[in-house]
Amino acid sequence: MSRDTLVSFEGVVKRFGGFVAVQKLDFEIKKGEFLAIMGSSGCGKTTTLRMLAGLEAPTEGVIRLSGKPINNLPTWSRDTPMVWQSLALFPFLNVRENVEFALKMRGVGKAERRKRAEHWLDRMQISEFSERNISQLSGGQRQRVALARSLVVEPEILLLDEPLSALDAALKVRMQSVLKNLQRETGITFVYVTHSQSEAFSMADRVVIMSRGVIEQIGTPQEIYRTPRTRFVADFLGSSNLFSGKVSASAAGGQDLDTPAGKLRLAKDAVALPAGSTATVTVLDTKTHLSTSRPEPSANAVPVRVIGEEFVGATATLYLETRQGQEIRVQKGHDELADLSLEIGQELFAWWKPEDSHIVAEA
Amino acid sequence: MRRPISLYGLTFSLPLLVWQVLFFVFPLLFLVALSFWTVKNFVMSPDFDTVNWTTMYGRAVFWQAYGTTLAMAAVAAILTSVLAFPAAYAIAFKLSDTARRWAVFLMVIPFFTSYLVRVYSWQIFLSDNGIINVILGWIGLGPYQMLNTVGATMVGYLTLAFPLVVLLQLFSLVFIDRTLIEAAHNLRCGRLRTVFAVVIPSARTGLVIAGLFCFILSFGDFVSPVYLGGGEPTTLSILITDTTKSGQQWPRAAVIALTMIGTLMIVAFAAVKFAYKGKTK
Amino acid sequence: MSGSADLNRNRAVDWALILYIVLAYAFVFAPIAASFVFSFNSDRFPSIPLGEATLDWYRAVATDPLVWEGARNTLIVGVIVGVVSTALGFGAAYTDYRYKFAGKQVYMALALLPPTIPVIILGLAMLAYLSRINLSGNALSVIISHVVVCAPFAMAIIRLRLSQMDPALEPAAWNLGASEWKAMRHVIVPFCAPAIFGALFITMAVSFDEFAVAWFVSGLNETLPVKVLGFLQGQVSPRINAIGTFVFILSMTLVILAQLLLSGRSAKPAKE
Repeated sequence: MSRDTLVSFEGVVKRFGGFVAVQKLDFEIKKGEFLAIMGSSGCGKTTTLRMLAGLEAPTEGVIRLSGKPINNLPTWSRDTPMVWQSLALFPFLNVRENVEFALKMRGVGKAERRKRAEHWLDRMQISEFSERNISQLSGGQRQRVALARSLVVEPEILLLDEPLSALDAALKVRMQSVLKNLQRETGITFVYVTHSQSEAFSMADRVVIMSRGVIEQIGTPQEIYRTPRTRFVADFLGSSNLFSGKVSASAAGGQDLDTPAGKLRLAKDAVALPAGSTATVTVLDTKTHLSTSRPEPSANAVPVRVIGEEFVGATATLYLETRQGQEIRVQKGHDELADLSLEIGQELFAWWKPEDSHIVAEA
Repeated sequence: MRRPISLYGLTFSLPLLVWQVLFFVFPLLFLVALSFWTVKNFVMSPDFDTVNWTTMYGRAVFWQAYGTTLAMAAVAAILTSVLAFPAAYAIAFKLSDTARRWAVFLMVIPFFTSYLVRVYSWQIFLSDNGIINVILGWIGLGPYQMLNTVGATMVGYLTLAFPLVVLLQLFSLVFIDRTLIEAAHNLRCGRLRTVFAVVIPSARTGLVIAGLFCFILSFGDFVSPVYLGGGEPTTLSILITDTTKSGQQWPRAAVIALTMIGTLMIVAFAAVKFAYKGKTK
Repeated sequence: MSGSADLNRNRAVDWALILYIVLAYAFVFAPIAASFVFSFNSDRFPSIPLGEATLDWYRAVATDPLVWEGARNTLIVGVIVGVVSTALGFGAAYTDYRYKFAGKQVYMALALLPPTIPVIILGLAMLAYLSRINLSGNALSVIISHVVVCAPFAMAIIRLRLSQMDPALEPAAWNLGASEWKAMRHVIVPFCAPAIFGALFITMAVSFDEFAVAWFVSGLNETLPVKVLGFLQGQVSPRINAIGTFVFILSMTLVILAQLLLSGRSAKPAKE
C-alpha cells in the first residue's frame, strides 16, 4: 500500500443471504482523488459505497481507511459522510440546523457550531436560505444543503450516492462543475457512485466500472474510453464496435481475426494470442470511417448497408449493418457526412486502421 | 442495517410484546383453564373437570342463544353490507374529491361518539311514545311496538357497524381501476350489470372483509340486544353477562366465550379464504 | 333508444344515489343529533313535540358526585392509557419499520389483533385473569385492559407515519455521527411527532368511550361510560344525553386536534 492511499478494499465480499452483492473487491482509493464507481443497477456499486460508509458490514475481507481496518467501526464512529440519492435532508429542521446536525452529534458547542455551519452555508452560496425549511428550497438548493451538511465536519473523504439523479439535465451539468470545483479546491477525496457515464467521465479522475459485483475495469476516463478492457465495458460504454472471431496467423507476419464479417488484421503491438483461440476486438465509433470505394488493403474493411441516422448536436451517428446483420455505429461530423451524401439502404465500406482496434477480454 | 436485534432494538420491541403476552395472551389462555374449573357454594376452585362444558352444551337455552346469535349476526352482516353498498358506491363514484374527503371525515365521527349514548338515543326514536310513533300518529297510523323487538336490535347493529362497513367498502371501491368500468360500458354492459359483473367482483376482498367486521361486532355486542331488543331473544353476549355478573359462574361464562371465539375464528377463516379466493397472495 | 334518453336515465340514477348518501348520513347522525337536542329538553321521557329548553340535565349531571368521580376516573385512566399505549405502539411500529426477525408475523399479530376480539369476551377474560393476579376492581385494571385494546391503534397510526419517512433519513443521521439512540432522539421522534400526538389523542378518545371491558373490570372505580351504562340499566334518564354531548365534544376536540397534527404539517413544495 502506497503512502497516498486513503482507502483500500482487500478481498471484500458482501452476501445478503444467498445473494452475492459484491464478489471480491480489491482496489484502492488515493488521497485527494475524485473516484467514480459506475455500473448499472444491481452491480454492487452502492453496496460498495455503503460498506465504506459503515452502513453494511463486509461478509469477508478488510476495508482500511488510512491504513486502519474499519470493518467493525459503526458508521457513527467513522468520518465518512455521505450525500444520499434522496439527499435525506431532515424535513423537520431548517437549513442551518441541517448543516449543524453532524457537529451537534459530535458535541460541538453552539457558538462553534454556528460559526462552522455559516462558513459552509456561505461557501455553498446558500446562507440567505439558512432559516428556511427544506420544503421551501429548489432541487439545486437542496443539493447544496446536502453537500454543506456532509462537508461541515471537514472529512478526509466524501461519499456521494447518485446525488444528481433527481435534477433536470441543465441543472445536472451545472452541479457537475460545482462538485468538480469543490473537490479540487478542498482536496477532499470524493467517491461518487453513478450509473451515468457522462457524470462519471466528466468529473472523475479515475473510474471504476462494476458489473455483477465484480470490477470490470479501473482507470482514467480516457484509458477506459480508448481501451475498454472487457467486452462488458465496451458494450456498457456503447461507443465501440465489436467483432469476435478466431485468431489465425497473418500472411503479413501479424495476427488476423476470422470473423463472420471477414478477416480483420489485429494491431501489430497486440498481445500474441494462440492461433485458433477466440478473441474480440473493439474499435471506437469515432475511429471507424466510411468510404464508398474499397479502402486500401492495409485497413480493415467491412461491407455494410446504411440503416439509419441520428443527429445530436454537431455530430451524427450513422447506423449500419453488416451482411451478417451485425449493427455498426459510426460517429461523423456533419460536413463529412454531407460529402458522402448517403441514403438509407446504400451499400458502402466501414473501415479502420488496425492500430485503432484492440483486443478485449471475454466476459 | 439489518443486524441481530440489540439492546437498543429490544428497548422498543419488548414492551409491547411483554404487555400483550401478559395481558392479552395470558387472559385468553386463562379463560381456557377457567372453563375446566369447578364452582361449589359460590367458590371457584382450580380443577380439571369438563362439567362446565357438558352442562352448557347440554342446555337447550345455550343452543337456542347460539343459533339466535349466529343468525342475527349473519343477517346483520348481510343487511349492513347491502344497505352500505349503495352509499359506498355513490361516495366512491359520484362525489368530487373534496366531497369524498368530507364524506369520509363525517363517517369517522361516529367512532368517537359513545355507542351507549347512540343506543339510548334510538330508544327516544323507537319507544311507544317515541318520535317515530308520534310522526306516524299525525298521519293516523300506529302506534307500533318498535322498541324491544329484533328489528330494534338490528337498528342497533347497524348503528354499531354501518359507518365501518361503508368506510371499508369505500376503500376497496376507490382502488378499482376506473378504466375497467369504462371498458365494461364500452362493451355495452349496462350500468347495473357493470356493478354486478365488474365492480363487485373487483372489490370482493374489501366487501367480504367489511361484512366480516360487521359479523364480529354484532356477534359480540350485548348493548343492542339488551337495550333495544329488550333482552329477547337471548344472545350469547347476554348469556355471558348474566352468567358472569350473577353468581360466580365464570367457568360457564368462559365456556360461552371460548365457543364464541371458536365460532368467530371459523367464520373469519372462511371469510378471508373466500375474500382472497383466486387471488395471488 | 337515443343517447340523450340514456343520459337522462343516468342523471336520475345519480340523483337517487346522492339522495341515498343523504339518507345514510341521516341515519348515522340521527341518534347523535337527537342526543344533543334532547340534552337541552325538559321532558323526562323525551319525544316530540319538544318540551321547554332547559339545562336541568346538565345541572343534574354536574351536581352528581358519582358522575364527577366517574369523569375523574375516566380522565385519569384515559391520560395514562394514552401515554402508555402510544409508547408501546411507537415501539412496535418502529420494530416493524426497522427490523426483520423470525416470528415477526406472530409479533405483528399480537400487536394488531386485540381490537378484533369482542369486548365482552375480552372483558370476561380480563376480569377472570386480573382478579386471579389480584389486579381486578380498580383503575389499574381498566388501564391495563384499555392499553391492550388501544396500543394497536397507536401502532397503526405511527407505523403509517414511519412509512412516509425517507428510508435514508435514519442511516443519514448515523452517517453524520449520531448513535442509534441519538438518531432516535433527534430524527425518528421529531419526524413522528405529529403521529405520536395524534396517537395520544386517538387512544385517549377510544379509552374515554370504552365501556364494556371497563364495566367488567372496574369494580368500584367506574369510568364515566360505565356510569352511563348504569343509567341505561336503571331509570331512563336524559342525563345520558347531557353526558353524551359533553363526552362527544371532548372526544371530537381530541380527534380534530389529532387530525390537524397528522395532516397540517405538510408544507408547500418549493418552485424550482
